[in-house]
Amino acid sequence: MAYLSRRHLLVGAGTAGFSASLGALTGLGSQRAWAADTTGYKALVCIFLYGGMDHSDTVIPYDQSEYDLLAGTVRQGMFNTYKSDEPTSSRNRDNLLALTPTGADVTGGRRFALPPQLSPLHDMFGAGDLAIVGNVGPLIEPTTRVAIDAKTAILPRRLFSHNDQRSTWMSQSTEGSSYGWGGQFMDTILAQQSGQNPNFSSVATGQSDVFLSGRNTTPFRATKSGANLPRILSSESFLGGTSGDDEARASIRSFLAGSQYGDNNVYGQDYRDVVGRSIQVSERMIEARQSATPFSTEFPDTSIAAQLKLVAETIQIQQALNVSRQIFFVTMGGYDTHDNQVNRLSPLHSGLASAMAAFKAAMQEIDRWNDVTLFTASDFGRTQIGNGGGTDHGWGGHQLVAGGAVRGGSLYGSFPVVDPSAPAYTKSRGRLIPTVSVEQYAATLGRWFGLSGGEINATLPNLSNFNSSDVGFMATSGT
Amino acid sequence: MATKEVRWRTLLVPLAFGAIAACGAGGSGSGAVPAIIGGGGTGGGGGSGGGSGGSGGGSGGGGSFASTSTIIEDEADAVRFLSYATFGGSQTQIDALVGQDAADWLEVEFNRAPTLTLSRVLGAADADGRIPSGTVDGQYWDQLLTSNDQLRQRMAFALSQIFVYSDRADGDQAQRAYFQDVLIRNAFGNYRDLLEEVTYSPAMGRFLTYHRNRKGDPSIGRMPDENYAREILQLFSIGLVELNMDGTPKAGEPETYDNEDVVGLAKVFTGLATNGKSFRNNYDDADYNPMVMFDDEHSPLEKSFLGITIPPNSRGDESIQIALDTIFEHPNVAPFISRQLIQRFTASDPNPAYVERVATAFENGTYTGTNGQTFGTGQRGDLEATLAAILLEGAVFDVPDDTGVENLNGKIREPILRFSQMVRAFEYDDIDSSNERNLRDTSGFADGLGQHPFRSPSVFNFYRPGFVAPNTRSGELGLTAPEFQILNSSTAIGYNSFMSDFAFDRSTTRNPDVNTFRPNYATELALTDTPAALVDHLAMLLTADRMPPEEREEITTILEQLPINTNDTDRETADRLQIVGTAVLLVTNSASYAITW
Repeated sequence: MAYLSRRHLLVGAGTAGFSASLGALTGLGSQRAWAADTTGYKALVCIFLYGGMDHSDTVIPYDQSEYDLLAGTVRQGMFNTYKSDEPTSSRNRDNLLALTPTGADVTGGRRFALPPQLSPLHDMFGAGDLAIVGNVGPLIEPTTRVAIDAKTAILPRRLFSHNDQRSTWMSQSTEGSSYGWGGQFMDTILAQQSGQNPNFSSVATGQSDVFLSGRNTTPFRATKSGANLPRILSSESFLGGTSGDDEARASIRSFLAGSQYGDNNVYGQDYRDVVGRSIQVSERMIEARQSATPFSTEFPDTSIAAQLKLVAETIQIQQALNVSRQIFFVTMGGYDTHDNQVNRLSPLHSGLASAMAAFKAAMQEIDRWNDVTLFTASDFGRTQIGNGGGTDHGWGGHQLVAGGAVRGGSLYGSFPVVDPSAPAYTKSRGRLIPTVSVEQYAATLGRWFGLSGGEINATLPNLSNFNSSDVGFMATSGT
Repeated sequence: MATKEVRWRTLLVPLAFGAIAACGAGGSGSGAVPAIIGGGGTGGGGGSGGGSGGSGGGSGGGGSFASTSTIIEDEADAVRFLSYATFGGSQTQIDALVGQDAADWLEVEFNRAPTLTLSRVLGAADADGRIPSGTVDGQYWDQLLTSNDQLRQRMAFALSQIFVYSDRADGDQAQRAYFQDVLIRNAFGNYRDLLEEVTYSPAMGRFLTYHRNRKGDPSIGRMPDENYAREILQLFSIGLVELNMDGTPKAGEPETYDNEDVVGLAKVFTGLATNGKSFRNNYDDADYNPMVMFDDEHSPLEKSFLGITIPPNSRGDESIQIALDTIFEHPNVAPFISRQLIQRFTASDPNPAYVERVATAFENGTYTGTNGQTFGTGQRGDLEATLAAILLEGAVFDVPDDTGVENLNGKIREPILRFSQMVRAFEYDDIDSSNERNLRDTSGFADGLGQHPFRSPSVFNFYRPGFVAPNTRSGELGLTAPEFQILNSSTAIGYNSFMSDFAFDRSTTRNPDVNTFRPNYATELALTDTPAALVDHLAMLLTADRMPPEEREEITTILEQLPINTNDTDRETADRLQIVGTAVLLVTNSASYAITW
């Protein structure tokens, strides 16, 4: 079954030539050797942590000397607020959950731990299903403190600004960019999988953002129940229950789901197009969800868990939706902890960890855990030096990758020393200079997803500036 | 109408879009002249921070329109102008405006007494001094929907999307009411005064975490919170890149500040706390009065930013004055603020020449309309002059080309404006928003408006001024489309569902014994025997006659399917209401209602 791209749904003056020009843009990977592997089912799930998660309060140094430096000096104020000397404090060293990584030693033997709120993730790490990638961030090329201070470094633009660094994470460009690497990965898949339904290839469950937008990929924005229809269609409380009312509803449905009605205005055409398509894809989603079997796994009552449940439900009906590759965008807010970090970060951590654990259980129920990879992303890490109540905008930060195909139980990337005057940090406030670029992180995921090296390079323009295009945390790494 | 010059922007301007235009409509049509209102054409990457209009630019758009009259000639003109300048026109307002000069209308609006929130919110407190939950939301909706100082309220709403405070972080109602009043009181005042009142407001202090922000103490690893320092520069004043007066970035996009400026400015915003006996102990009324400086907690260090240095041991209030003056003096302020204000009133992608005219009014503090009327005090930063320049812009009064050629102008109206226009157009009776469950929080995507006043997800507002919608025609043309950032498969349907209760007079009251939000459908009910006439009437009242003929026919056909049972009076009343409800719902979901152009 072939699907029209959304573009073809546009009717009206001037759109025909427009569609044709797009065909040329998406003609990637025509040679078989360069083509994506699209066999079987795979899903990538991006959990974007809005606001910038404080990596240093997530992966905590566990060696006594480094712990003491952090708790007693560099972040003395914050650890005082955590009452870390008290035996029940989550930041008391005795209560931290030490990590015992396998695989290559990237820390020089230095030990790290997770706070107790991340206990489910500590378990996942122990089970080999979770990897932690240290000091990931947007980069154009490898760089150093010396090059930055000498102003010879080529750096991404508008660092430290929420919206721009977030956009750069998702799309390699500051705010206003049109295509994210998630969307472009999916463009590549769709170019070779003409049978796959593009309408459900990319699904957003929380905030919409540029990550999932591609040239031929428009994300489906799911609702809590998967999809809804306008109440005038789904309820008999507006028009009644007679057959005449049913006919009127059918006419209204056709009218709303139809395409253009002659609007001259370009914005008007776009608006009409979104309304019409929304009705059509929502109907399709509602129909497909009828084939779903409820999970026995209980998901916690949080937004992040509800979103991951929706992802699990959508993965379960992938055959009915006719998709073999999916990318999901799940969002969680609140990480911009300038103030009151001690009380704000802990519930965020517990919410994230419990939701991921439930998701793993649900995937194991339907035997999909080996086919899905969850990964976190965030605006930035935060300053090592606090501001009294919290921490400010940084640059590099640590990320979590989970799934049955992850080379878990290991640390990747770098986990710099605590001392913010060290060359791993910028000159003020202790902002980590990334050592793993977002593009390397993305490429590692893309290779597992099935993209060829050529296809990955076409999506990630700065990747060739780095020694390696694979950070090593996926089963496909190094193959 | 035919005598008016056609100045509307169409796709027939090949220079504006280069190769893309060649794949576009291209077709026929005549009399097309470059854009006035629309036409930035950012080409995707240039939209950040809202100031940058990009390089596409409608060529020739910089012409002078001194000859353009600002007289509202007919009903469609009146509907359209009121959609730009208010929360929507009632039939009464529309009728009164026809034949008037818009400049005269502005003059009246500029002189209306402000409708303020705080006293009414405090007045709702119970015997224990507690303000019932939902009071400030109810008051704000009431005021937006019913107050007669519509231009001022609309300006305050626009400012609330630039100086963004969101009550998601801290729901204190008196604090929010005070902040709303800061925007309402200063709506026609001076930008510099507004910036200062915002800076000292407890709402902003808490939201951007500089309330009780302390001077650094390196011995325990504490530095001043940088949050406000960064956002006041990036979002409230100058943006990230140097701008030309027309809002486009300067060549090479030089950045306006770097991280060391933020570190320096962060020291300025230390020592502020809500008014009280001490830094940590505030008075009962502190939430709705300006914050005060506690110099003991203010950084005594030298503070360097934006090329100036405040000497060591300066007092806190002095440091803030110097900082705000320095920010205000930056040449970016006029184009940065002007472009975003235009986006909130008349054009989602304003033409650079239009931005420049408005920015010039901001710079000069004065604007003279085509009828010779002058607005503003002459002080730089005058918001009355700025707003007059936005609303008296020539193209606001020109008739668009209707030759079938694609039109690139217009303001995508945010969902709140679409809801408010419906309520105002049908002059709903018994508006009591605090009794309306559906209005308590309209943020929901699946069943609300995807937007609630003073409740955006973050300081970055509901959408960004530089947003270009992927996979759309406007996006391919490089047009910024902020409001499309919250339009998706969920909100498109959620909006329809939200509007249906109000269109069918089925709103959900908290107190079921009190019927509120009752539409006045007398005119519409009288047209239910002639559906085509009903649709034409609604197309005029709601879309300024923009709805295309094909769409009117489709809606008419649907309405004709709905029966009217004349044997039973109650049934007949219900049937006729059903026809009007369906018609209103379909028209308020049309593209020509969503986009004002």
